[in-house]
Amino acid sequence: MEKSYTEKIQIHKANKLAGLHPATKFLVVILYSVCTFVLSSIKLTKIGLPLAIIPWFLVVLVLCAVSGAMKKCIKALKAVAFIALVIFLVQTFIVPGGEVLVRFGFIRICEKGLKTAISLSFLILNIAGIFVWFFQTTENKEIARALEESGLNYKATYVFISSLQMINVLSGNSKTIMNAQRARGVETEGNMLVRAKAFFPTLVPLVLGALIGSEERVLTLEARGFSMEGKKTHLFNLEKSGAEGTMKITAILVTVLIVIGRAALWIL
Amino acid sequence: MEGKKYSIKEDFSMLALLIIPVGVAVNFVGGQLASLLKLPMYLDAIGTIFASLLCGPWVGAVTGGLTNVVTGIANPVNFAFIPVNVIVGLVTGFLARRQMFQVWWKWIISILIMAAVSIVVSAPIVVLMFGGVTGGGTSIITAAAMAAGANIWAAFFGTEGVFTVLDRVISFLICWAVIKVIPARTLIKFGCGSNYIKEKK
Repeated sequence: MEKSYTEKIQIHKANKLAGLHPATKFLVVILYSVCTFVLSSIKLTKIGLPLAIIPWFLVVLVLCAVSGAMKKCIKALKAVAFIALVIFLVQTFIVPGGEVLVRFGFIRICEKGLKTAISLSFLILNIAGIFVWFFQTTENKEIARALEESGLNYKATYVFISSLQMINVLSGNSKTIMNAQRARGVETEGNMLVRAKAFFPTLVPLVLGALIGSEERVLTLEARGFSMEGKKTHLFNLEKSGAEGTMKITAILVTVLIVIGRAALWIL
Repeated sequence: MEGKKYSIKEDFSMLALLIIPVGVAVNFVGGQLASLLKLPMYLDAIGTIFASLLCGPWVGAVTGGLTNVVTGIANPVNFAFIPVNVIVGLVTGFLARRQMFQVWWKWIISILIMAAVSIVVSAPIVVLMFGGVTGGGTSIITAAAMAAGANIWAAFFGTEGVFTVLDRVISFLICWAVIKVIPARTLIKFGCGSNYIKEKK
């Protein structure tokens, strides 16, 4: 049977975890971040390294794997991991202070440096990691629809979605303009001044074109009753995967356990 | 501008709403182009500045914030820099309202204010959250200065300062070049647009 247009644009996900309602996923993200902060305050070993957040990162990887989006997540995680690595190296080797732990030649690792290195880089890795999971398993359309469900103005959601589309449109346009300017003899290679000069003939037409375009879009939108008051209908609706309740309870339970565990360590 | 009362809601007209996505995309493309041309700057606030110049501080702030939300989808580290871009939008917008972009010497003051504010806002984020380096092009210089024994704050301000001022000068010149060629009949539709129309004598 031929599918109608409204059926075609719906999103069906076989995976229960990936198909969770965005609001539930967001709760998981928030609670996970809270747990990360709690765990990072636990000091292990003699010199007090916050080692607990290193194995905690496995939770992100497990979530990505179970959601069946491992490949996509790894790709996005690489960028985050690079920043975390740079921070880790800089902090370990450069920040002085405290006892010197290891020393080879001119390189030395200090207590204070190692401590900040681990806590900073893994805090970033953990929190950015859980956001990667959220965004890689949720489509932008779903996020926008969930935002609207939670009471955000439809104009704001339109701006959000339209920004995402605009990026693709303008990236394409900028390449076209740059090629056109090159064909006219604008140099894009050479020393820094030459390259900086090439910036102008590309961006000015781009911004101007986009501006004139948005003027026309106002007319189009208004003609379709965009700013009309009244109840709106939706072509795209969110589905629930059925695992929302379980996931919420699990997330809250884990958080409570971690907080209690932290408090117990404190008192004892 | 004879003491007209502004309301924030009025700022967000239909045209302003549609300028926000354009601004976000221009920020993104600007950053992309800067790395394509291998410039040692980010140039990722052109759209924010442009939106603030035309539609005032609040639209600019939303443009700035949304840019980092959208780029944060691909790399969540960008979420940390939302305040920087929001403040850039606000400050530029207020400067535009105060008509600080009319004469050349006012430009210099405004650009310096814009650069100073964005450094001051981003410094605590970079130093406290990332320990001074973010993996960008200027990070190497900052790290080298830190290794040589410089204070982490001094290292950051020193290296970022120069590049931020340059960044803002180029960003502003691009916005100005665009605004100069927008026809008056279009400019008048924007909140702050009438500031840029030269009256015919």
